[in-house]
Amino acid sequence: MERTHQLELFPNYNVTLLLFRHVKNAAALRKKAMEGSLEGALINPAMIVDPFQILVAANKAVHLQQIDKMKTRTLYAEIIFNLSPNNNISDAFKKFGISDSDTAVLIVLLDSYKTVNLEDIASQVEGQQVSLDELPHLTDTARVKKIYKVTPQEEKISTLLDSVVCRMSTKDVL
Amino acid sequence: GIPAPAVYFVDYVTNSIYLEDIVDSVTVQDHIYSVQRSGNDTSSLQDLAEKMGELLARMHDEDIIHGDLTTANLLLRPPVEKLDLVLIDFGLSFISGLPEDKGVDLYVLEKAFISTHPDTEVMFKALLKSYAATSKKSGPVIKKLDEVRLRGRK
Repeated sequence: MERTHQLELFPNYNVTLLLFRHVKNAAALRKKAMEGSLEGALINPAMIVDPFQILVAANKAVHLQQIDKMKTRTLYAEIIFNLSPNNNISDAFKKFGISDSDTAVLIVLLDSYKTVNLEDIASQVEGQQVSLDELPHLTDTARVKKIYKVTPQEEKISTLLDSVVCRMSTKDVL
Repeated sequence: GIPAPAVYFVDYVTNSIYLEDIVDSVTVQDHIYSVQRSGNDTSSLQDLAEKMGELLARMHDEDIIHGDLTTANLLLRPPVEKLDLVLIDFGLSFISGLPEDKGVDLYVLEKAFISTHPDTEVMFKALLKSYAATSKKSGPVIKKLDEVRLRGRK
């Protein structure tokens, strides 16, 4: 049900994605993540077009952590920040992190040398774990286009995923 | 709105850019070679030239100068019949609204065309025609192209 990908550029890192629907305790989960008692990135699945988007964010986060140039304080916070098309950290959390009223949550786990306990994380969610195949149903395409400012011109020649990823990977140059 | 490989990751430490791989693509250069070799000429290459002209017009209208236009820097996504072009290799690119820069951009392509692909003058003519029809600012650019052509003959 969950999906694990190895990062091509950092092969000892594995990214695992878990998707939950009908979640009742988003507020509690968010609190736990902020306190540090839940090791994972809690992401709003409506803003995610494809798991590749998460991989690009995770790849950049790991890279920056290794050269000690993260903009946020933790790897998981950095993943959420990297999803944003701009450089405002709190804005990134508001838009890409989960809010207390959310009923769908995408949890991203990153492990390298120490393995992550999936059951432990999953047991803390009061909701139903579903397959990543359901992610496209949860994507709010209109909102994604608005947040990432994808123009109709662009849509004609590219995929939404490519438009999103380009903005994520080049935001520090612009 | 210009088709080019997506940027996936920029590594400022090693100064590398990780781009999308356009799988099973063929360069326009290789495509022209194979069409000329097989003998199925005119119509498909004319259509290709028109598409190229349109793409370059759109690029120049955004004031993007490629800087190294050759048929090896234009890819065709599979299936080739769709004439789905992708521009690559922006290592020499810059932004400019000057007709002179756009004219030179086209001149570089013309020279590359004629030296790499014999008997393609007609094709390039079709490219320019389509460029002029698509671009809103083509008049001064074509004028400059003519001037640069004259300069080049010295």
